[in-house]
Amino acid sequence: MRANRILILVIVSIIVVVIGLILSPRLVTHVTTPITAMTTQAPPTTEEAKTEAIYYGTINGAGATYLNPQMQAWASKFYELTKGRVKVNYQSIGSGAGQANFREGLIDFAGSDPPLKKDIYNEFQTKGGIIQFPVIVGTIVVVHNIPNVDSGKLKLTGEVIARIYLGEITYWDDQRIKELNPDLDLPHEKIIAIHRSDGSGTTRVFTAYLSKVSKDWKEKVGSDFTVQWPVDQLGNGVGGKGNEGVAAAVMQNQYSIGYVETAYAHEVGLKTALIKNRGGQYVLPTEKSVKSALTALTSILPKADEDWSDIFPDEIVDPAGPDSYPITSFSFVILRQKYDDPVKISLLKEFFEWVLTEGQKKENIVPGYEPLPPEVARIGLEGLKLLR
Amino acid sequence: MRWSVKGMKVFYAVLIFFTFTSLIIIAGIAVSLITVSSPIFMKYGLDFVLKSVWNPVTEDYGILPALLGTLMTSTIAILIATPLAISLAVFSSEIIPQRFRSFMNSISDLMASLPSVIYGLWGLYVLAPILHNYIMLPLHNYLGFIPLFSTKPTPTNLFTAGVLLAIMIVPFASSIVREAYAAAPYNLKEAAYSIGMTKWEVTKITLGYIKSAIFAGLFLALGRAMGETVAVAMVVGNVPNIPKSLFDVGYTISSLIANQFPNAQAYEYMVPALYGGATLLFLVGLIMNLVGLYFVRKVMIKS
Repeated sequence: MRANRILILVIVSIIVVVIGLILSPRLVTHVTTPITAMTTQAPPTTEEAKTEAIYYGTINGAGATYLNPQMQAWASKFYELTKGRVKVNYQSIGSGAGQANFREGLIDFAGSDPPLKKDIYNEFQTKGGIIQFPVIVGTIVVVHNIPNVDSGKLKLTGEVIARIYLGEITYWDDQRIKELNPDLDLPHEKIIAIHRSDGSGTTRVFTAYLSKVSKDWKEKVGSDFTVQWPVDQLGNGVGGKGNEGVAAAVMQNQYSIGYVETAYAHEVGLKTALIKNRGGQYVLPTEKSVKSALTALTSILPKADEDWSDIFPDEIVDPAGPDSYPITSFSFVILRQKYDDPVKISLLKEFFEWVLTEGQKKENIVPGYEPLPPEVARIGLEGLKLLR
Repeated sequence: MRWSVKGMKVFYAVLIFFTFTSLIIIAGIAVSLITVSSPIFMKYGLDFVLKSVWNPVTEDYGILPALLGTLMTSTIAILIATPLAISLAVFSSEIIPQRFRSFMNSISDLMASLPSVIYGLWGLYVLAPILHNYIMLPLHNYLGFIPLFSTKPTPTNLFTAGVLLAIMIVPFASSIVREAYAAAPYNLKEAAYSIGMTKWEVTKITLGYIKSAIFAGLFLALGRAMGETVAVAMVVGNVPNIPKSLFDVGYTISSLIANQFPNAQAYEYMVPALYGGATLLFLVGLIMNLVGLYFVRKVMIKS
């Protein structure tokens, strides 16, 4: 009896260990969410702070999750550079919540994928004004999981992508996709369209692009943090929470299509699709195509203290230029023009001036993000002069 | 004597203070749920509960798919978790050798205290593909004519969420059952053994004796299943459709809140809509608990 029990126990524990071993490597290889830890440094001695610094303190920001890894990297680098004099706290709580907290005066700056909406901008105008400026460039890629088609081979147009998410193109061998890809052997399989389920700036930009290139999309769906995906109603859509959720869904569902931030697609090795730009070329987000898009955009961007809501993202997406990547966008930082505490103003100025100059150098940019061209960085630098 | 009377008074004062504090907190939650959610009920009335739409662009919200999804996933979870939790409790109190018992129990309790995002990631990357390849696809291929299995499954769907929830609540439910099992009077077991009953029969009698505790444990676990946010959001598929089969992608109220709350303040009616969902969840939980209490009473009176 006793021997039996021990035997059972041994068998059970062996099974548990074996299952654990089988499952653990999968878990390890797939969980690739970037973990950005703040460098925990010893605080500076008071002597150091006195000799080197005029101002010291903490600035608090919150907002866009997309901006988070880069903001943490900047914050910890700046903390190091100033020898602990300036500490930047950034909480990744989402663009909407960041803007709401900023409106209530709970934080010093907001990070946000879209700039302020018109009515909120106007509300701030009566209360001393704000400045808002891009701090980093982000691109969105369309990814797919067709087993026999390699990354960077599938060609799509904005119109076709819109028709897929509208639920009008349901099979990969649809004539409208075949036409674009005469050399590919596309299977007769249902397209599973993956999208973000959480409200996100990524969806806002992606749907702005679809609205711009497809009249039907603009009329039936529109553009927002979350939209009502027509493909869902046909039962061919799946929502994933966050980039990691979309990436996992694309990897697990054969014959699916999805959209994620470029950094994320590279990190987990998703297959990307070429998108036709306004110049008629099929492009991927490369350094060249992003630069071309930004050059085309520079002339239309407003000043930091102006309203950006008419421009972003509807005018930003699908820019002119023969090489431009069509789904290129910015993440913003929003500041008030007036702060009660003069020290805070100095700290904010110091930090964001660094972010817009040194912070844009390759060594300070987290892989997957693209630095701002100097002309765009200047918008923020000019804006910072308005702080008082 | 005098001292102990004074001690009593202090004791009662403290007791009343803390009781009222928790009552006030609960009442406050109910009140704030109702006040914050009232705009959405004013705007759409009962339509909010009966509509199947989630369109922030036009600020049109209906919670029915998420409500049905909540009921469906928690039903799946409780159906799977009940036998597992009871078996685990019996196994750890009857069968496993004494010296391994506390080890096993602490492992099971540790499972109950794991953060749910861990379960969510595990569910997404490990559980979902396994269920998809070895359970859902075969069921769909061979038994697809049954409406329950009629949808061609994707790895993340209501069924996956239900199974993940079951796994999450088993340790919790089984720990309550286990405590109750241990508290069953020893005389009962001895008497049963003395008339020559087998271990199986004695276990049956003990389980019968602690029926109400089992119910209570399962209802608590059900409450957890309904309220689970992040883990479900990762595996449920997050599509606001009315579920037509087990394998449909869907939504639950809690996962809808987890998904949509961070940007909800950018809209006029989304925060009320999400609070409206929470209010409904609160009501459903209340009804479930009342039904549960009714059953427990009935069982208690019988025995």
